Amino acid sequence: MPSWQDFQPFIVSGLALGGVYALSGVGLVVLYRATGVVYLAFGAVGAMGALIAWSLINHAAFPDWAAWIVAIVFSAAITLAYGMVFGAALAKREPLVKAAATLGLLLVLFGVMDLLWTSSGGASRSLSLPTDNGGFQVGSVQVVWTQVIAVGIGVAIAAATGAFLRFTKLGTAMRAMANDREITATLGVPVRRVEAAAWLGCGALSGVAGLLLADLVALDATTLTFLVISSLAAALIARLRSIALTFVAAMVVGLVHDLLTPIQSLTNYRDMTPFVLAAVALLLLSQRRVISLSREEA
Amino acid sequence: MESVGLSTSARERWRAHRLDASALLRAGAVGVLLLFVLLALPQLLSLYYIDAMTQVAVYAVVALGLGVLIGRVGLVSLGQTAVLAIGAWVSARLLFATSLPFPVVLLASGVITMVLGTVVGLPALRMRGLYLALITLMLAGAITVVLATVNFPNGGHGFLGYNGNFVHIPSIRRPAIAASDPAFFRYAVVVAAVMFALVLAHVRSRPGRAWAAIRQSEPAALAAGINVTLYKLWAFALASFITGVAGGVLAAAVRHLYSIDFPTQDSITLLAVVLMGGAYSLWGAVIAALLLEFLPALLNNWGVSADWLTIVFGVGVLQVLTTAPRGLAEQVPRDLARLWRLVAGRGRHRPAVGGGAR
Repeated sequence: MPSWQDFQPFIVSGLALGGVYALSGVGLVVLYRATGVVYLAFGAVGAMGALIAWSLINHAAFPDWAAWIVAIVFSAAITLAYGMVFGAALAKREPLVKAAATLGLLLVLFGVMDLLWTSSGGASRSLSLPTDNGGFQVGSVQVVWTQVIAVGIGVAIAAATGAFLRFTKLGTAMRAMANDREITATLGVPVRRVEAAAWLGCGALSGVAGLLLADLVALDATTLTFLVISSLAAALIARLRSIALTFVAAMVVGLVHDLLTPIQSLTNYRDMTPFVLAAVALLLLSQRRVISLSREEA
Repeated sequence: MESVGLSTSARERWRAHRLDASALLRAGAVGVLLLFVLLALPQLLSLYYIDAMTQVAVYAVVALGLGVLIGRVGLVSLGQTAVLAIGAWVSARLLFATSLPFPVVLLASGVITMVLGTVVGLPALRMRGLYLALITLMLAGAITVVLATVNFPNGGHGFLGYNGNFVHIPSIRRPAIAASDPAFFRYAVVVAAVMFALVLAHVRSRPGRAWAAIRQSEPAALAAGINVTLYKLWAFALASFITGVAGGVLAAAVRHLYSIDFPTQDSITLLAVVLMGGAYSLWGAVIAALLLEFLPALLNNWGVSADWLTIVFGVGVLQVLTTAPRGLAEQVPRDLARLWRLVAGRGRHRPAVGGGAR
């Protein structure tokens, strides 16, 4: 068993990873609650945004901040476009079909990314945020500003989204739609506009998450695309409903994942953390078996 | 279906007879096709395409397993590639450790995979629809991580049978009668045909009817006295069994297995081609396997990047889910029939007949 000293740096990196998972998880939950779509292309959209930012910085001599904005705008635009075309077309289908359709978008984006930014031939890219260079010392642990930003954004987004859903008119409309789309529309809520807002917000969050993960993990289409599965784990533990629970779950997943790193016998299995936690949580939470005739999922 | 008042025994006999005739015709066509694939195809194709077609035979069975789950029972699994990997692992281990005859190894790996799949499936069956799909995706991700660490057996000792220090890695053995690539292709096709027959036997009999009822409405099936849990598990077991057997064929086909050959994204691509091929028909599985394994070989030969295919699959999924829920296996014949009617000058659009999807 490694000593406490060995664990300390991984607490910081674990919290940072948890922050990004929280950011992604909250984006997924908000979209699911407003539209019933589990957006499995979240990671692919963010990855493509990050790769575009990389190209702009390295080949078009864009200033960094402009490239980041382009990345986030791109992610938001792609997501909004998908939501307007396919989200609307599939609005009345069951949640499973809606989720499977986003796998179509995932495959399209994944193919395009592999075509334009091929990773075969050992070409490796990296996207570093300027916040990587500065930092401070806590005890014996070096903390990098990017990690602080990741945790900070995670906390801020979770808190802001929670408050938004609770207190604003648009947020109330979104919560109403989570209950019943038809009745909400009857009450005079502009359903399509509310959905568009949810798609746009989720897309922008995927752009931010893509940039942060590209810096914290790796700028690689495959890795980033399928990191959505890990982020989804946090949302699933919260049963795609509670923002607060998503945040807590994301932090736990990030922490456990990184704290396993220094343990020799488990380090190779640490990537299983989100899957195992999500699977266990889902199984424990589904003890109560209800048969319903509606199209709502179990 | 049944018109009241006309159900005389003569009429029923006539109908049964007619059904027999069309079924016979269909069976004959399948037999001829199978003979062509077994006898003529290895002569016509180069070794490169024979290898690709062996993969098609393997993945047709995998796609069939997923097709049974989606099309017959309405369960979507995103973990079938992980099941295939388990089957390949088990049979590779058995082939290295024992000198059992090859069919016995295939059977054993099918049964072991079935037991594992059912054990995993049992708790997962509490969930339906979306959550089931997502939990299988999680489990597939976990299995991928485990496989990356334990690696596939390569003739080493111990339970895992992996030795990282080997310079000359022994190949996984093939049956004596099918050592060459064309001979193994025929072997793989025969195994696939047996698996298709097994599934057909299920679909045509009691489990098939129970699955159809469950797919229509679970509460109604329950009310009709169908043991929903049993038949759902049965579907899982059947799909895991044939996928495990396919894993065994795959192990002997490629002869060296590596964990990077089974990434999680393959489960997603598999779902895409199964949806495109058509999950409701057995032919859909063959189409799915051709899309998944033959087209990339073809494109690779032409020097076109396989990424284009990924994009096409993505568009295909969106198209299938929004406009043609039954996939290519039904859409293409229907569209061709429409075209034929147009060409034949009838021009009149009759509503397409939805049956015959088998």
